[in-house]
This record gives sequence, C-alpha cells and structure tokens, in this order.
Amino acid sequence: MTFIAEKLIKVFPGVRALDQATLRLEPGTVHALLGENGAGKSTLIKVVTGVYQPDGGRLLSTAGDGTLAEVSFSGPLDAQRAGIGVVHQERNLVPAFSVAENIALQAVPKRRGFVDHHAMRDLARRCLERLDVQLDVDRLVGELSVAQMQLVEIAKALAVDSTVLLLDEPTASLTADESDRLYDVVRSLRDQGQSVVLVSHKLEEVFAVADTVTVLRDGRSVAEAQPLANYSRDDVVTLMVGRAHADLHLETRKIDNQSQPALELDDVSTSLGHHGISLHVQPGEILGLYGLVGAGRSELARAILGLDAITGGALRIHGAPAHIGSVSQALQRYRLGYVTENRKEEGVFLDQTIARNVSVTVWRRLARAGLVRNKDERVLVDRYRDQLGMRISSPLQLAGQLSGGNQQKVSLAKWLAADCQILVIDEPTVGIDVRTKAAFHELIVGLADSGIAILLISSDLPEMITLADRIAVMSEYRIVGELDNDHRYEHTAHKVIRMIHAEVAS
Amino acid sequence: MSAPTQQSDATPASDPQAVDLDAQRSLKGLPFWANPRFGLLVVIAALVVVFSSLRSSFLDTGLTLVPMQQDLSVFLVVGLAQLSVLSLGHMNLAVPRMAAISAFAMGWCYQHLSMPLALGLLVGLVVGAAVGALAGWIITATGVNSFIVTLALDFALVGLVSLLYSHVGDGVAFPVHPAGMTTLRNDTFSDYCTGNVCGPPVPLIVLFALAAAVLVAVLFRLSRIGREILMTGSNLTAARLSGIPTSRRVIQAHALSGALAALAGFLLAINSGAFSADIGNSFLLPSFLGPVLGGTLLSGGAVSVLGTLLGATLTEVIQTGLNLLNFSVQDLNIYIGLVLLVALSLDRVRHVLAERRGTRA
Repeated sequence: MTFIAEKLIKVFPGVRALDQATLRLEPGTVHALLGENGAGKSTLIKVVTGVYQPDGGRLLSTAGDGTLAEVSFSGPLDAQRAGIGVVHQERNLVPAFSVAENIALQAVPKRRGFVDHHAMRDLARRCLERLDVQLDVDRLVGELSVAQMQLVEIAKALAVDSTVLLLDEPTASLTADESDRLYDVVRSLRDQGQSVVLVSHKLEEVFAVADTVTVLRDGRSVAEAQPLANYSRDDVVTLMVGRAHADLHLETRKIDNQSQPALELDDVSTSLGHHGISLHVQPGEILGLYGLVGAGRSELARAILGLDAITGGALRIHGAPAHIGSVSQALQRYRLGYVTENRKEEGVFLDQTIARNVSVTVWRRLARAGLVRNKDERVLVDRYRDQLGMRISSPLQLAGQLSGGNQQKVSLAKWLAADCQILVIDEPTVGIDVRTKAAFHELIVGLADSGIAILLISSDLPEMITLADRIAVMSEYRIVGELDNDHRYEHTAHKVIRMIHAEVAS
Repeated sequence: MSAPTQQSDATPASDPQAVDLDAQRSLKGLPFWANPRFGLLVVIAALVVVFSSLRSSFLDTGLTLVPMQQDLSVFLVVGLAQLSVLSLGHMNLAVPRMAAISAFAMGWCYQHLSMPLALGLLVGLVVGAAVGALAGWIITATGVNSFIVTLALDFALVGLVSLLYSHVGDGVAFPVHPAGMTTLRNDTFSDYCTGNVCGPPVPLIVLFALAAAVLVAVLFRLSRIGREILMTGSNLTAARLSGIPTSRRVIQAHALSGALAALAGFLLAINSGAFSADIGNSFLLPSFLGPVLGGTLLSGGAVSVLGTLLGATLTEVIQTGLNLLNFSVQDLNIYIGLVLLVALSLDRVRHVLAERRGTRA
C-alpha cells in the first residue's frame, strides 16, 4: 500500500507545528523520519495515525483497485482500520494481561460474545511468527524484558493487518544487541512488503537500516522521501539543522570568567542517575544546557533545587558549599529560582489571579503581622507588567485566561519578584509563537545583563545558539561536551549535534 | 510562520481599547445572578416567606428563632471545619469524631480537673488541632488520599471515643456543668439591658461562631499562610516549585479543621447541656452542605466563608421549616439529601460557566 500525507498543516494555539509537511511511503521500504526536537515529527505521526486532525493538506492511500484515494481519520481506530499501525515511544501494554491478550487487544476474536481464547492465541502466535520471535503467548507482559515488550508492541500493531508500521524511537531503551535484533525484524518486515517508518535520533542506526528519508525542520519537509544512499551523515545533519529564523542576533557578550561563579557544580552525581556533572555559571552569564529530550537536563535542575537528592560531588553557590533541601530554601537562602518547563502544570496557578501568581514567592516579605495587603501585590504586578511587557487587563485577571507567552511571563515574574540572583530557566519558549519568542529572548538577555546568572535549558537549538554564552551538551545524564558559543548558527549547531550523536553512537 | 494568531500578545501594543474592553469584562465577571451567594439569599428569603405563611410560629422568637440561631452556630462552625480542608481540595470525613474526641477531652477536664469553662475549651481546641494535624501528617507522609485517611481515622476514633467514655468517663456523658455553661446555653443578648435598651434576641454562643467565621475569613483572604494553603490546593506541584512548604500547609489546614471541629463540639455540648458520646454524630453531612452550597470548590483553591454561612442558614431554615410542618425525620433526610445533590450539580455547572467566562464565581 502506498500511503501519502500531502502538505499537512497543523496549527496549535500560537505555533504552526506542521507547515506543509509531506510524507510519502512506498511498500517494501524502511523510511526514516528525521528532525530535531520540535521539528514536528511527533505531530506528523499523530496526524497520520488519526490522533490529530490536520488543519490542511490531505492523506492518500492506495484503494482496492490500485488507485490512490483520499482518506480521512476521525480517530486512531480509523487509522488502524486503514492499515496504519504505530508503536509509540511510551509503552502501551497492559502489564497484567498475557502476551496474547495484549497482541489481540485491538481486535479481540469473539465467539458468541465471549472472547475466543483459542483464536486469540493463534492470532498472537501468527504475529510473533512473522517477527520470527519465540515467546510464550500465555506469559504476563509484566514479566517480560523491555526489548520483549517492544516486540510484543510490534506484534500488536501487526495484529490489526497494518501495512504501514510507524516506530517512534524504538531503540531508545534497548541495548545495542537488542537493537540489532529489532532491526533484523524491521528488515524482514520490509521484505514481506511492509512499509516501515522509523523515527530515531540515532543516525548510525538510521543509516544502517533505512532506504529512504524524510527530514522535517520547523514543520516543513526539507527532504521528501529521498533515497538515503544519496546523503552523507553530514548532509542529513545540515538538513535537520538548517537555519531557522534570524530573529535576534547577539554579539558575543563579555563575561568575567575570573569572578566567583554564581552557581558551580563539581563532579555532581544525583539519585536520578547523573554522573560527574561539572558546570559553572558566572554572574551575568547564560549557560546553555542542550540535549535531546530525556537527556536528564530538567532532572538535573530538580536536583539542584533540592527536589531530588545530590549523592556526590559539590554544589557551590557564590563559592560557598550549598545544601539545598527544598525549593523554599533555594529561594530564601540562595536566591535561586526555577522557571519551570511545564508552565501549565508547574509554572502558574491557572485558577488564581495574576496578582497572587506573581506575589506567591514574596508573601513572606510582604506580610505584616502575617497579613498581606492586596495593594502591595498590585504594586508588584504593575512593576513586572511594565518590565516584562505583560499584556494583562487587570491584576485580578485569572492566569488561565492569558496566552501562553503571557503565562510564561507571569511564571518568570514571580522569580524576579523574589529577587533571584540565579535562575534556572527550563524550555522558556515551548509552544510560544515566533514574535513573542523573540521578545522573550531579549528579556532573558536583559536579565543576564543585569547580573543574574542564568542556566538555560532548551531543546530548541536555534534558541540556544541565539542566547547562550556557553553551551554544555548533555546526553544520558552526563555532560558530553562544552563549547563557547560564537552565535554563528551552522558552525555551532554542527559541533553540538556531533557531540550528541558521537555520544549516542559510541 | 506567519500564522494569524488570536493571542493578544502577538498584536502590537497600540490597541489600548481592546485591553480596556478585556479589563471591563474580567472585572465585571459573571452577572450578579450567577453568584451563588445571591442565589442562596433569594432561596432563603423565599423559604422564610413560605414557611412563615404556612406556620406563623416560624417567626416566633423563643420557639423558633433562638433555637435556630443556636443550631446555626454549630453548623456554621462545622462547615468551617470542612472548608478548611476543602481549601486544599481535601476532605475531612473525621470532622464528627474530631468533635467527639475533643468533647470528651473537655468534659473530662471539667469533670475531673474542675477546669474553668474557657480553659477547658482551650484544651479541647488543642486536642482537635492535634488530631487534625495527625490526619494532615499522615496524608503528606504517605501520599494517601485525604478521603481514605480521614475515613479510616474517623473509624478508629469511633472505637476510641466509646472506649474512653466507658472506661475513663462515666458511661455515655459527663454530668458536669462548669460555671457559665448554663448562662451560655440559656441567655440571649436581650437578657442584658442597660436602662431600657436591651440587646437583640441573639444567643450568646452566636458570638463564638461569628468569631470563628471572621478568623477563618481573615486567614484565607489576607494572611500569608491562608493564601499559601489556597495556592497548595490550586496546584500542588506549582506551589512546591514556588517555594511554598506544602507539607506544612497541608498539616496546618487539617489542624485548623480539627480545632474548628472541636469548637463545634463545644457549642453543641453547650446547646444540648452535656458533653456526651454522641456529639458529632450529626456533623458529617452538614459539614459539606454549608461550604458546598456557598460556592466553595471541592477541587480546592477557593473558599467562601460568607457562602458557608448562607449555606448553613439555608440548611437550617429547611430543617426547621419542615420540622414545623410535621415532616418525619426520614422525610427530612430525603429532602436534605436532594438539596445537596442539586447543589453539587449546580456547583459543577457554575464552575464550568465560570471557566468559560474566565472568572471565579
């Protein structure tokens, strides 16, 4: 079955996640879908599998008579019926069910309204056989290894007669041996005429197994179903990186490297699995912490803030050893604030007023005899409304009414109100439109200019190269490299991406 | 990437009128009729008219109005006890037994230590707060839902209270009457006159309930701790990440709930004339009725003390009115249950409405 997703457009409030992206799949091929974080891969997969409805473009699929016909999916079930199977990055199995029950979950064989266990086992065995996998179909999935679960998921996708199979980062949690084994399965599926789509950050593996490639960048497909043999690894990296929008160009800022670092991590390890993390941020400096999703960056931030334990090494703030047991301690004693990644769940109180959102960190200071006056809160909001350019109608407006960008400003304002000397800013512009993003970038640089030390976590490489003075690259809970940022995009992006992929490949 | 966005921050700042309109809309908020407090007032007024036209004794001072105020004082405080933890989005199903164990402590102090009334009350409040704090501590330490924890605690306390009364106490009640108890029970301000001017026919114990209400209102509206409790209820993760000591706030809110339950137990003992084992038995449903009818969200983050007062008043009016109309106890319970169900559904509708309008009702 040939399957084409043509010029797909998907708009979320404030962002264009897909902007005329095209994916063309032929039977009997392994198709790599590549792109940096946020390029639109996940959105594309969700549109193709019916989770999202596209705002533009169309889906075409070979009909029974061999001609292409337009199809539309109103939900994942429709996509399944049209022969599109998917194995998501996160596990979607029921641990308490047997292998057979899981494989047949979407198409349970029934006889007189009851589950036909015999037919179910047969179905499961057939699917596993196609993968050339030996597995007892009566075992509980909860007892299986991660790699075995992965295979069960693929078998589950095959059980609904899918002819297109999407694998999202299938080897993310597998060992090298298990990965090889999985790719053997992928090749054999291809030889059976399946069309397999492979999403992976591990370029080595992609080059070893894929035939054709589509590269996404900023929601657009910059390479459409090209034979992979025509590209070198560098070509692919260049395509992935490209050059985003030149919204803000910063000259290299002068940082006083001789002064006492505001925040210093020396060979730190954490209970979450970080090892040998050494970093330092000078006052007024922006240190970028880049890495793929899941590299352990936000987790490191949590450990610095005392939400998780630091088990080794030393954390120093303004030169003095610091032991931070809670966010409140980080704030009160060390003037260290954390602008969270996930503003809706962790950053702002959506059903509270802006005044309360902004002043929550400083009630301790504002209170007189334990009571806080509303007037003091208003003064605070007015100050940051001007400084951050928040567009709000009244301090009594609920934070949930604001746009994403303004919510993020509220989230930032509460830390500025607390007079922080060190800010950890985590993914500041996710889901924020381009213009607000540029304004936010200026804001962050302005904060650094005023002497605040900033540890900037971002998966958005253009943003990182725009803002950071230095970039530390993290992979698998370790720092794999650090470089001075010269704000020259191609140059720095190549270096950063090589650091990551060199690490992943080794 | 030139998608037209509807976000106000993407439009240039040269559009002050749009902002002003926004401001007006959000300040005005919902129309006044959608305010649950206003709705309650209307319903209460209507019911008073209906009941007093059916039974003129409904407006009789000695027969109806004074006992109503006495009952209302108890149920207002009971409602505030529940409100204290509803602020977190928690529940305290142990309000009845927190009241009971505190009443036992107070009765014991009066009986065996011959404590003065005020000192015994203080002991009771401390015991209530301690049991509440224990509930809060278990909730934060184990992460188990407050519903389960307080349900279990209530169950355990049922046993403990009856055990205490049968072993340490004298059967089911303390017969003691400390000095002042009878005065509090029987007197209204109309008994105290300066010259020809006497006070209104308001029982003395109403003062206790009003003081508690004012205190709780000030706490949640103005104090740092109260606000931080509300923020914790609004979004626990965000509160923790904003430097609020969330565990401490949870424990404090539950301790407050326990102390208020103790005060309610004290007031009921005054009203009924004895510190007995059945104090608190009737508290559970009213504890939710007042706050929920008054617009306190079950999901946490917002409370209304005034609403709780009105909610408790409505319950009391319905109860007294149906009583006067000779409804049986069973009928009464059916009607009160129905009122609660309707109120809870309306609360949900109002919440959705408020979210759509972007204002808190």
